[in-house]
Amino acid sequence: MPGEPAKRQKREEYKKALTSDEQNAALPKKKFYRQRAHANPFSDHALTYPKSPADMGWASLYPAYAVKNGEEGKAENESHDQTEEEQRRAKAIMKNVEIADIGCGFGGLLFALAPKFPDTLMLGMEIRISVTEYVVDKIRALRTQHASTSAYQNISCLRANTMKFLPNFFSKHQLSKIFLCFPDPHFKQRKHKARIVSYTLNSEYAFVLRPGGIVYTITDVQDLHEWMVEHFERHPSFERVGEEEQEADECVRVMKSETEEGKKVERNGGTKFVALYRRVEDPPWP
Amino acid sequence: MMLPYQCIIAACDRYEAGGNEWILFGVSGSRLVAQSSTGATSIWPAEEHPIEEPSPENEEQEPPEKRVKLSPPLEQKSNFSILRLSNDKKYLVAVTAEDKCIRVFRVDSEGRLQQLIQRCMTRRPCSIALTSDDSTVLCADKFGDVYALPLLPSPEDDQISTPPSEKIEQKKFVPSASLLTVHSGRNRKVLEEQMKQAEKGPSQSKETPKFKHDLLLGHVSMLTDIAYAAVDSRSYIITADRDEHIRISRGPPQAHIIEGFCYGHEEFVSRLCLTSSGRLVSGGGDAHLYVWDWSSYQLLETLPIRDTVLDYYRGHSQLALLLPQDTQAFKTAVCGIWTVPYGGSEGDEVLVACEGVPAIVSFKLGSSATIGTVLPLAGNALDVAFIYARGSSCTAVVSIDHLHRPGSTTEIREDEAMSRLQCFAYQQDGQWAEDGSIVEALEWFNRRAAGEPEAGSDGRAGGGDTVDEKATRDILYGMEKLRKRPGAED
Repeated sequence: MPGEPAKRQKREEYKKALTSDEQNAALPKKKFYRQRAHANPFSDHALTYPKSPADMGWASLYPAYAVKNGEEGKAENESHDQTEEEQRRAKAIMKNVEIADIGCGFGGLLFALAPKFPDTLMLGMEIRISVTEYVVDKIRALRTQHASTSAYQNISCLRANTMKFLPNFFSKHQLSKIFLCFPDPHFKQRKHKARIVSYTLNSEYAFVLRPGGIVYTITDVQDLHEWMVEHFERHPSFERVGEEEQEADECVRVMKSETEEGKKVERNGGTKFVALYRRVEDPPWP
Repeated sequence: MMLPYQCIIAACDRYEAGGNEWILFGVSGSRLVAQSSTGATSIWPAEEHPIEEPSPENEEQEPPEKRVKLSPPLEQKSNFSILRLSNDKKYLVAVTAEDKCIRVFRVDSEGRLQQLIQRCMTRRPCSIALTSDDSTVLCADKFGDVYALPLLPSPEDDQISTPPSEKIEQKKFVPSASLLTVHSGRNRKVLEEQMKQAEKGPSQSKETPKFKHDLLLGHVSMLTDIAYAAVDSRSYIITADRDEHIRISRGPPQAHIIEGFCYGHEEFVSRLCLTSSGRLVSGGGDAHLYVWDWSSYQLLETLPIRDTVLDYYRGHSQLALLLPQDTQAFKTAVCGIWTVPYGGSEGDEVLVACEGVPAIVSFKLGSSATIGTVLPLAGNALDVAFIYARGSSCTAVVSIDHLHRPGSTTEIREDEAMSRLQCFAYQQDGQWAEDGSIVEALEWFNRRAAGEPEAGSDGRAGGGDTVDEKATRDILYGMEKLRKRPGAED
């Protein structure tokens, strides 16, 4: 493809310049991170993911919340090989991630929510490498800019295929909110299984959500909206949140106005369809 | 050419009054073969009455046949891939791979088989399990979904309720998005195509089966095995996939609730096995088998399957030649785990087979043995069934690949006319010893049944009917394909 090597070279130079100077608090430029809007959730990719939630190294994503090992502990560690348990402790953080933005894109929602829930850890998950890098670079820049107030320490982003590996990251009932904003509509009928919402995948959202937790969905594609509503309605672990409560929810306002797609739809004069679902308690065994 | 038995299973009741009667079932290509301890034999489809292969056109217009075909039309060509017996041993459930069909057979006391129903799924079944009351078949498919089908449909089940999602899809066509929708270039193209399609009339929606089948749960990954467990009054479905997951869900009617995961595998999981004491043993592309207290998701121990096989290869000059120079690169893919049904207090023991390995490995659980016990075979291990031939002893019948070289899944061996079965009897001292008497009793099953007389003995096509090497390989081997290759596309 002509033009491709030049583009790649420019991107590489740009990213090198960005990382070489740690003090560089300049926000990353989106044009160097653009990537085609679709990814195949069924292919293997070269993904990294933890073996289990207990193996996840959260400390590197949220350094301000990392559990600091005392000097005493350190001296002890040197005397013998680190056991698996000790390695896990080194990865530990003081609190668990509670909000997941699945398919976070360029992270608009995360950046808007960060100051609104300053004590809650939030994670953006995105399947496209470049887009993930943009969010990671932007978080780093914002953290540097706000070093004095410790803002933006509560958000992070990683590359993941959540349709396959969500339970590798979060344990049972860990999350209070999941956002599914402007997901890929996968118009073709034979691609419907690739949609981020389906009856069978909803079981995984129910697994990682605590009872009372909420799934937020928004799209400008009516067909997809109806699909999501239908699949959540069918799933006994979810009930729809009433309109009044929905419109009073601050997150809904942010989701409509702060996401990149939300803004685009606004410019186009399109319609935004919102649906919220609350995870109900599991019924007793039959 | 005579194909090996890709699957075998035995109906055998240890405490049956009046002695130890058994029936051994085996599938060789597209033939289903049975022999009982009384010497009765049968083959399905019967030579003179092969059944019709369901054609796709028929499926769209009418429900699949529910009665046994009496007229003998085309020969059925699909090869069997799975065999399961109902808990009461009255029904045999078999899956044929190419036509994705689940077939239920009634088994009479003589081992004769009568097909009661065949139901073709839209996706290829990878594994099936029966609920403990034998009412329901759970089918795990290549697309990651699990469906529940009644073992035998009741009359009400014929009035099919189409799931709501499918109803919507059959509505009059409406484009999925408006012009105001924000689009990527690709989505816009898809939409334009949809508009064009709409002008031509409603699109042909993919046929959905007309029989009762309820979606219970699903992974976004190929399922490899499924197990059903009942503990006290609670039932569970355990599913394994190509992405290292072992998922524990509640049984129907609450199969949408995930209880937890058994985390630990780093390669695909290919087989699950519940032992007599209720432990779960899982294996796949990893160097170890994992033993779980699955109700608490705790890993209890690991069993070194790869090192056991490596050790065995090193000790045999012929097999040692097959080892890669760097033995670190030697990998095993588990293709079978069977719990040994002592029914006694000896503790759990499992037999394990790996794809393309001419041996069965035995592990005693909880013995903290550093290595398993190897039972060498004359050909690659394919499947294991257990029968009680005499007294309290248990015999493992092993089907072996007599076509390929031991240790290879591709090279055809030169010496032919080898046995398709080997038997091992469980000894008082806890070891297995080769048992020739059962093989003798199974002479018909072993050497004669389901041969293809019209094919030349040189293995070349006689009547245009001979299965070629590639096709044979596809019937017998597929596990190693599940391994992810590094550097796949991004």
